[in-house]
Formats: sequence, C-alpha cells, structure tokens
Amino acid sequence: MSSFDTEATEKEILRFLEARTKRPWGTDADLFASGGLSSLFAMELVVHLEKSFGISVRGADLRLDNFRTVTAMTALVERLRTPAGGATDE
Amino acid sequence: MSDRLLTEPPAPDAAVSPDAETPWEDPSAMVTALVADEADAWDRAGLLPVPLLRELGAAGWLCAQVPVVSGGRGLSSAAAGEFTAHVGSLCSSLRSVMTSQGMAAWTIERFGTAEQRAAFLPRLTGGGLAAAGFSERAAGSDLSAMTTRVRRDGDSVVLDGHKVWVTAAHYADLLVLFGRYDGSGDRGEDAGAVGGGEAVAVVVPADTPGVRVTRVADPLGCRAAGHADVALDAVRVPAGHVLGGSSLPLPLLVTTALAYGRMSVAWGCVGILRGCLTAATRHAATREQFGVPLGEHQLVARHLAELYVAEQTATRVCEHASRCWDDGSPEQVVATVLAKHVSAGNAARGAATAVQVLASAAARDGHVVARAHRDAKLMEIIEGSNEMCQLMLARHLLGRTV
Repeated sequence: MSSFDTEATEKEILRFLEARTKRPWGTDADLFASGGLSSLFAMELVVHLEKSFGISVRGADLRLDNFRTVTAMTALVERLRTPAGGATDE
Repeated sequence: MSDRLLTEPPAPDAAVSPDAETPWEDPSAMVTALVADEADAWDRAGLLPVPLLRELGAAGWLCAQVPVVSGGRGLSSAAAGEFTAHVGSLCSSLRSVMTSQGMAAWTIERFGTAEQRAAFLPRLTGGGLAAAGFSERAAGSDLSAMTTRVRRDGDSVVLDGHKVWVTAAHYADLLVLFGRYDGSGDRGEDAGAVGGGEAVAVVVPADTPGVRVTRVADPLGCRAAGHADVALDAVRVPAGHVLGGSSLPLPLLVTTALAYGRMSVAWGCVGILRGCLTAATRHAATREQFGVPLGEHQLVARHLAELYVAEQTATRVCEHASRCWDDGSPEQVVATVLAKHVSAGNAARGAATAVQVLASAAARDGHVVARAHRDAKLMEIIEGSNEMCQLMLARHLLGRTV
C-alpha cells in the first residue's frame, strides 16, 4: 500500500470515530483506555471497516488489539486488503 | 410430511432472493400448512414435533439466511425477517427454535474459519438442530459475569460450567456455547499467540459425554421452544471446535452473536402483533354486545387502532434495521437494538390489548392471543431486556466507546 492509501484509510476511520463519539481522536489514542470495550461500539467498528474498505474481518483478526487505535485499525485494513492477508481464514 | 419441503435448495449460482418472490416456493404458505391448527396443542403439550423441525431444517428454513454456498437459502435479512414474522404470527415456539438455529448458524458463519463453516453449516441446513448458550445463573443481563470455563488441553478443549435457559437446547444436536478461555494447557507452538481475548464460542455436540440437558419446567412463554439448562462436566471436544481458533473479547463475541437473535426476536414480535391484530379485528367485527359489533364501541375501536399502530411501527423499525444489515451499514448495530426494543414492547402491550378485546374468548391457555400475551412478555426479557436495550441506546447517544 502507498502512504497515500494509508493516509486516506486513517482519515476515514478518524471521520467515523469522531462522528460516532462526537469528540476528536489522535491516531495513537487508545479507544478503550478508560475501561472495557463497549459491545455495541466494537461491532460497529468491525462492520464499518468491512463496509468502508471492502474487507472481511474474521477469526483471530477480531482480537481487541486490532481495534485499539486508529493506527492499528489502519494496519489491519491494509493487511486484509492484500490477497490472502487474513490471519486464520481463506 | 409434505414433499414440498423436500425441494432442493437453489443451485449455487441462483440469485439471492431479496423478497418473497422466491423461485422455489412460497415458504410462508408452506409453514401455514404445516402448522395448521396445531400451535395451540403444541403450546399445551410444551413440545414441538421433532420430525417437523428436522424437515424444516433439512430444507434450510430454520436458518434461512445461511448463504447458498453453505447449503442455505441465502435470504436477505429483510426477506428472512418477513418469513420470521409469519412463523411468529402462527407459533412463537417454532419461531424461537428458528431464532436459536439462526443464531447458532450466524455465530459459526461470523466467527468460524472457512473449514469450520464447511464442517458445521451444512449440518444446520441439513436437518440438524442447534442452540446457542449464553446465560448462567449469575450471568443474565451481565454476561461479563459468565464463569463457564473452556480449558485448552493439547488437541482438545475441556468445558466446565452451567448454562441456563438455552432456547431449543432440548431439541439440539449441536450446542454453540460461550465461555471464558484458559489457554495455559496449549502445548502447540502458537500457545498464547492469539491473546487479547478472554472468551471463545465452542461447538459442542449435545451427545458429548459430560453434557446434561435439563428442560426448564413450565416456562411462562414460548412453552414448546425447548428451553433447557445445560450442565457441562469435563466436556471434551477437539480444539478445532473453537470457532475461529482463538479467544476474542467477550463483549464483541456475545454482541455479534446476539445481534442476529435480536433481529429475529424483533421480527418474531411483529408476528405476535399480526396474530393479535387478526384475531382482535375478527372478534370486534363479529361479536355483538349492546346490539352492535364490538368494533362500533369507541373504546374497543381505539384498542384496534392502537394494535394496528403497534404492528405497523414495529414493522417499519424492523424493516429499517434489516435494510441496514443488507446494506452492511454500521448503523445495523444500533438499529437492531432499537428494533428489538420497540417490537418487544409493542408486542407485550399489543398482546395485552388483544386479550382485553377478546376477553373470555381468549382467556384460556393455548388460544393464539393467550399465547401471544405470555410469549410477548418473555420477549421483553430475552436477548437483552427492555432495560438493557435502553442502556445500550443511551450509551450510543452519549458516544461511549467503553
């Protein structure tokens, strides 16, 4: 992936986060720092990434660390966009 | 049983059917014919006929959203929803079994590897029956309190714990069970490599040694849905039965699985409302008191109008949520909770209203409206109580991530 793609991915994830939480986020801020993950929010993130970037997040890729920061989600998206990039599947 | 049920599922290249214009048959008419006037007797007996369940399952109708490539009907959420509502208008117990089967299938589809999907989904579309177990004695609304333990032991996992109120477990061949993962016994090279999670979903054949299924005696509603407690005493299954092969965050795991159940319950409640609306309207049009049909009395007419409002409102909210699922929109998550909450509340109030309209005509166990009254109340509790739904909606409004 080019750095242009990375930037666009980051930007889209930030846009979603800010619209959803009504507050700004840094790319390395820990979304879940103040406690356990909200179950609804976790699922929204997964569905949003799948819809926006045409990927399928399955199996071990659903682990929390992949969703903890914008940087982590961007890396997940880029890995899953490349063929055979899934952790445990296909 | 009718051989109409035995029609083959569509060929893999057949288009996904987005509506009731299915090329193979009209599933709603089929279920109407199969249920006939038996739902009252099933409710009183507290049992559904197992051959009927197996036959509907073998034709793919108990989990109609399973993709065609996995042997399913490949229905959209919207089309499956209308079908679910139809079944729910006839018999909420049968609809509950569909909800459980669909939730088990969805969990396998969503979290399973390609290999696991290929191994388990054809069983669920081939006549096998399944249930999904979440709740425990000390973990109802607060599923984070679940203590069922899934311990890795070499090439196996061993389950110990006690699930309660598992819908359809009485009938199930396969149980999809959620528990806490203890990977310390993993002797493989990947031990601990898939950390970050604390929970797993495991597919457990109900006849595995150590599994004991005990029916819940005399449930308030959906009496024939086969609710049961499931005790697990050193239950050993291959590690390959852990969906996705890894532990995951418990909230993500259970919310994803429950999302399907909530959507199904929401549509089932639309069905409850339709059953009540039909019965109440017929009664108000024909039963006479004070020299005129009941519906001519303004206070009764208002009951009918309110029932119609409840049914239509629930339908629209469910349609919206299903559209979000079919579009892959992240809004599906909140729309599903909203649909479940609106539909369950409307069904509980609507069924109470219908009992009021029919009065003594419906005041006996087994009557469609009496069943609706009991079944709908349970729907305000199952798959996220009214109060849990309200909390989730409020947290959404507040933009909470944790």
